[in-house]
Amino acid sequence: MLTKAAIDRLRQKVGTGNVYHEREDLLVYGYDGTPETAGIPDVAVFPQDGEGLKAALAFCRDEGLSLTPRGAGTGISGGSIPVRGGMVLGLTRMNRIIEIDEENLTATVEAGVITVDLFNAVASRGLFYPPDPGSQNVSTLGGNIAENAGGLRGLKYGVTRNYVMALSGLLIDGTEFFTGGKCVKDVAGYSLRDLLVGSEGTLGIITEATVRLITPPQDKRTFLAYFRDIRTAGEAVSRIIAGRIIPATLEIMDKMTINCVEDYAAIGLPRQMEALLLIEVDGHPAVVAEEADGVRRILQEVKADEVRLAANAAEAARLAAARRTALSAVARVSPTTIIEDATVPRSCLAETFAEIERLKEKYKVRVATYGHAGDGNLHPTAATDERNREEIANVHAFFSELYDKVLSLGGTVSGEHGIGTAKKAYLLRQLGAGGVAVMRRIKDAFDPAGCLNPGKIFLDAPAPPSTVHPGGKDV
Amino acid sequence: MSEPSPAGNFRPADSPSYESILQCMRCGFCLAVCPTYALTNRERSSPRGRAALARAVAEGRLEFTPAVGEEAYFCLDCKACTTACPAGVRVGTIMEFCRSQEQGFRPPSLPAGALRDFILKRMLPSPALMEGSLLPLRLYQRLGVQWAVRRFGINRFLPGALAKMEGILPALEKPLRLELPEVIPAQGKKRGRVAFFLGCAMSLVFPEVSRQTARILSQQGFEVVTPREVKCCGAPHLAEGDRDTARRLALTNLDLFLGLEADAIVTDCAGCGCALKEYEELLEGHADHGRLGRFRAKVRDVSEFLAGAGIRTEELRPVPMSVTYHEPCHLVHGQGLSGPPRHLIGKIPGVELREMKESNWCCGMAGSFALKEREASRKLLERKLAHVRATGADALVTANPGCHLQLAWGVRELGMKQPVLHVVELFGRALPA
Repeated sequence: MLTKAAIDRLRQKVGTGNVYHEREDLLVYGYDGTPETAGIPDVAVFPQDGEGLKAALAFCRDEGLSLTPRGAGTGISGGSIPVRGGMVLGLTRMNRIIEIDEENLTATVEAGVITVDLFNAVASRGLFYPPDPGSQNVSTLGGNIAENAGGLRGLKYGVTRNYVMALSGLLIDGTEFFTGGKCVKDVAGYSLRDLLVGSEGTLGIITEATVRLITPPQDKRTFLAYFRDIRTAGEAVSRIIAGRIIPATLEIMDKMTINCVEDYAAIGLPRQMEALLLIEVDGHPAVVAEEADGVRRILQEVKADEVRLAANAAEAARLAAARRTALSAVARVSPTTIIEDATVPRSCLAETFAEIERLKEKYKVRVATYGHAGDGNLHPTAATDERNREEIANVHAFFSELYDKVLSLGGTVSGEHGIGTAKKAYLLRQLGAGGVAVMRRIKDAFDPAGCLNPGKIFLDAPAPPSTVHPGGKDV
Repeated sequence: MSEPSPAGNFRPADSPSYESILQCMRCGFCLAVCPTYALTNRERSSPRGRAALARAVAEGRLEFTPAVGEEAYFCLDCKACTTACPAGVRVGTIMEFCRSQEQGFRPPSLPAGALRDFILKRMLPSPALMEGSLLPLRLYQRLGVQWAVRRFGINRFLPGALAKMEGILPALEKPLRLELPEVIPAQGKKRGRVAFFLGCAMSLVFPEVSRQTARILSQQGFEVVTPREVKCCGAPHLAEGDRDTARRLALTNLDLFLGLEADAIVTDCAGCGCALKEYEELLEGHADHGRLGRFRAKVRDVSEFLAGAGIRTEELRPVPMSVTYHEPCHLVHGQGLSGPPRHLIGKIPGVELREMKESNWCCGMAGSFALKEREASRKLLERKLAHVRATGADALVTANPGCHLQLAWGVRELGMKQPVLHVVELFGRALPA
């Protein structure tokens, strides 16, 4: 319990308007986009500069508080939920684009810069920052890096990790770190940078990042292909990849997703179809023409039921934007949406779709499936209601059995969302006790007291029951 | 988890439904479009935060505290979040209920309460009383006064708000309601009969605009019926949390307009249009379902109506100028109408439409927000006008009296060249004399 004197002291150092401890504020910094779970911090702090940040960390150490870093709170594995209370450290007010270096093709940003703002800023200089997670209009670069966020362009352009060149920030004990740089090659010591990318805010607090920029594609072509059988769509994906064509985007949506998205976006998606693929090839015009022909040929060979070409860039952008709304649009059907992030080798897509269909039947759950098919990264999303405990139990049983299959195929329990609070048990299943123990040792080396973003990734060390706030309940 | 009682810590009357709140799955897409979040970067001032507060109240985890009431009123009710929400959550509507709750939990003290009651329950429902009032202060301004009196005490409040009020109000003309013929015949080949819903602000502050609306409808081949018994649409009451009076007014208008046997009920006020389209919901259980459905099916914004009917362009004369278009929240977000006003503009020979950035962001008027939250309102207005200026357009076009007042005031304050026109004023310039 923080005293008023302590809060006043913090306010003096960080600025009155940057410290919240009223109950109404604390309630809304206890959640992110993850269903079924929320916490309540003791205080929420939004430093505007490095000094404020250091002061916030010192305060945590003095008061013995744990600390949970937060970007826009759009994560969907619970990474920014303060499950043990303590301080929520918001980084959204450190949001300057520090530099766009056109000679080295890099941009340096503070952690709170919004993804799409960086995209637009570099685009105005004729450059391209490709990672585009679904929440790019809201999400922060710091959050993207901490979660190693993916997006619709992952297939050809990779994910956030592939663009991070340098990071700086603070460890929980106040140690400043700087790792990486603008050099294209750099093997000086362990790559702390690569360890921090995807560390979900459990190792250090990233305050600044330098990212790699590339030149934008000169041309692009966008297809929509409709299928009466989702397995055929899966086959089309596998054959496009096997055909040595790497589209920028190769997305799938099943019937339920199509209908939810169409309910919201009203862009004329075919409600009766079992699946659609959104395929975008980009690059040099000659290559685009060739790859477009290749895609079209494969779609004919697998007998796609209909193939459409987007009329122009605006229509292509509308289609991609509609796809990004899938997760939230599924919530039209039912208040709770539990999204998973199952990822398999791409040759196994059709088999995975078949398993999803079988398990939907077995557990009688409503599941919309969509995702980055070209990456083998699927987001089966259960439309359910957290008040219905029986149904929730079925949903979790469904996912549990699905992950058995995914892991047996050589897949992973998280392609791009992270482990957070939501997938700790699945992580153990995938890596085994030994694999998790190595990670634990790394965590202990960075944060021996376990104060930084506690309760994430690792299944061990359960929180005392009095401080656990499941299902939106609070203290 | 035990099932919460239907209203939790809300008062049972006029509480938001639990289902409507639970619909939010917290993806945060709304954060990118919420003007108050853009101003504060404070989660509780975002749609997701407001929905979470309402949920905490509904689940009994939070009392309906003054801070919840403050957020309900700090919300612009611009409904940009509704447009952005893939899950279909309507936080603006939830906040309207919360304003009602605030009035119930903490009724305004005398004399502010008496003033509020007078305005909402006596003056607004009676056009004659409103039109006859000698005070050069109208609806929004009055509501602003009562709010500030209640919150800050009259002395601290008055100078700033009065200055803005005086600045924002144009010279009042004779109310159009008593001037406009009750029936205006269609010109040329008759295409139908429309009932014109003449809003209070239009009649009192922008009579010239509504005169153009009637003129255009007639020129386009529609007989225009404008009933003098029209009441306030109820929008200010909903916005201020007085749902009872809103229902009373709505019932009167429902009977009046259904009785006119018109093909459509047309308004040139985005705020009225939005309220009229919500009668079905507001009067659920208070009026016959079929009649509500028939009424709803007839309500059209003037641009929506004309675009739908098809515009006769044969007689239009060129209006050589460039314009930029500010989308009223109650049109683009409240009614989902983004294309029709642009369609109307596009049909005028000689007009060049130059799109501004963030054309669908609130201008900061938002009913009485402009008076209650003057600093925040001014920041939103300046953001808007910077985008207007960047277009270099000759005129700024919009389609709602609230935006019109705010934008015209801002343009004057900043010494900008653009006159502010309602879309029908612009269209009217293309009609033959």
